[in-house]
Amino acid sequence: MAGQRRQEKWLQPDRDGKESGCGRAAGNGDGRQMTPYFEFTNPTKLCSGKGAVDNLAYELQILGVQHPMILSDAVLEKIGTLRVVLQALGDRKIGRIFTDIPRDSSVEVVNRIAQEYRDYGCDGIVALGGGSVLDTAKGVRLLIGQGSDNLLDLMGCECLPQGEHIPFLAIPTTAGTGSEATAVAVIRNTERNIKMEYISQQLMPDVAILDARMTQTLPPRITASTGMDTLCHAIEAYSCMQKNPLSDAYAVAAIELVRGNLMKAVCCGRSRKARLAMANASFLAGAAFSNSMVGVVHAVGHALGGVCHIAHGDAMNILLPAGMIFNRKVCREEYAGLLLYLAGPEVYVQTPKEKRADRAITEVLRLRRRLHQLTGLPLTLKEAGVDPAKFPEVAGVALNDGAVIVNPRQVTYESVIRILEMCYGE
Amino acid sequence: MKNEMMNQMNRLVLAVLLRGLRVLYRSDDRVRAEMDSWRKGLTLKLVCGPGGAALAVRQDDACGVVQVRRAQRTDITMRFKSVSGAFQVLSGQVGISDAYARHLFALEGDIYQTMSFVRCVEYIEAYLFPGFMARRILREVPEKKLSSLRVYALAAVERVR
Repeated sequence: MAGQRRQEKWLQPDRDGKESGCGRAAGNGDGRQMTPYFEFTNPTKLCSGKGAVDNLAYELQILGVQHPMILSDAVLEKIGTLRVVLQALGDRKIGRIFTDIPRDSSVEVVNRIAQEYRDYGCDGIVALGGGSVLDTAKGVRLLIGQGSDNLLDLMGCECLPQGEHIPFLAIPTTAGTGSEATAVAVIRNTERNIKMEYISQQLMPDVAILDARMTQTLPPRITASTGMDTLCHAIEAYSCMQKNPLSDAYAVAAIELVRGNLMKAVCCGRSRKARLAMANASFLAGAAFSNSMVGVVHAVGHALGGVCHIAHGDAMNILLPAGMIFNRKVCREEYAGLLLYLAGPEVYVQTPKEKRADRAITEVLRLRRRLHQLTGLPLTLKEAGVDPAKFPEVAGVALNDGAVIVNPRQVTYESVIRILEMCYGE
Repeated sequence: MKNEMMNQMNRLVLAVLLRGLRVLYRSDDRVRAEMDSWRKGLTLKLVCGPGGAALAVRQDDACGVVQVRRAQRTDITMRFKSVSGAFQVLSGQVGISDAYARHLFALEGDIYQTMSFVRCVEYIEAYLFPGFMARRILREVPEKKLSSLRVYALAAVERVR
């Protein structure tokens, strides 16, 4: 009942009501025009399906890698996932195996691994893990390719010249970050307590390998959290300022796969079909947002991660409806269109046109509630243990996140505070 | 010829931008707060396409920013990919966020610190462009703390050297 009341409260019209000072298409109900110019990049070769990991040795051979550096984490080593990958390498020599990557990788960790890459004479990177491992590998590749020894020297967006080509294969073990398909890496700057974004085509892996065996052991709670991250990527990609026809196609395909498979992957983790579908959804959503970027949900989520150390997927799950409500004023048409993929054709047809956007948000709220009941995934910042006294710091950091610039609605300090208060849960 | 005209226009608007930043640092507390949050001595550069006009500034406690001549390397460089791309932004046809969405420029340096500069540019756009243009290029037009005419007048007499 409480959840239902909260949901009804959230779906009230925007608190600021009037279209005060809104520019462009705000509130005109006609939807936004697509950007008159767009770029789309997705050069990554995708190997997806049964036995995909078994092709690893072949893919390395094609890329001319003799001594790969394997990056992973201690948990994957412990539960045997890393062993499956090492077995797939057969008799190929390994330059170095590095599994000491923390949950939130940092500039220091990336710099250290790049030094080891050089010391051990490696000639390619295989990254096995979740977003942190994959983003760490991207950072290492950037450093080696650019001949640098400090990631802080390479900050920027689409500014780096083509460096030395370092073969890079990504094997995700969660279906959430979509990092295997993106030109983006998020690395923590421990000194400034922020998560920094690097955007460059050179971050894109040569090959992404999606194999259900890699995600089968994910606990339901993490499956739910990372699945909501995928959904958030797709929804934000579909509604951000850089959206384009290709990113839209990827985004809606991802949402359909999430709708059909997330609950099954959570309830029945051994289902290879559901696991593979979610891995594909993650790749698709990653490719979508890599080309259209993400918005306020990710900006605030990164800030919560940096300041309050809340897991990224949990933050996305908590913030997504509030972010959609915030953007609803300018994204009504986009959200209405998404209802088809979030709820299916029957619900879409039965819902009056003017109510479809709100119904899309309701569908996200429903999915969250079901995941909460099944796995205990937090619905509020309070449940996630966030101290509201940190909201001002979080808002300050969020405003400087790169995702703010492409959010369809202007993000201000006050609006971030309002989103955080809405999500706190009182 | 067309390129040269756009180049001249870009040069002119960059000069107005520099003066506008300094005037608003004194006159608009929101711009002042943004610029005060910049790292001491932070250097920024706007390059309007290959061989195009450029403006480099350094954070300054007294005036907000001072112009830097012959800056080879700056902390943040916003490099427009073409002269015409820069012209679209500086002539008020495209806002800075739209320019990013359309890949009109590349960014060298810390994205985190650049966002504050982007907000300053959006404040200046609200003052320098007529209302109908500002509404078209800004997601939300910020409230003006003084009239645009006054900003232009102050910018005209602003000493930047």
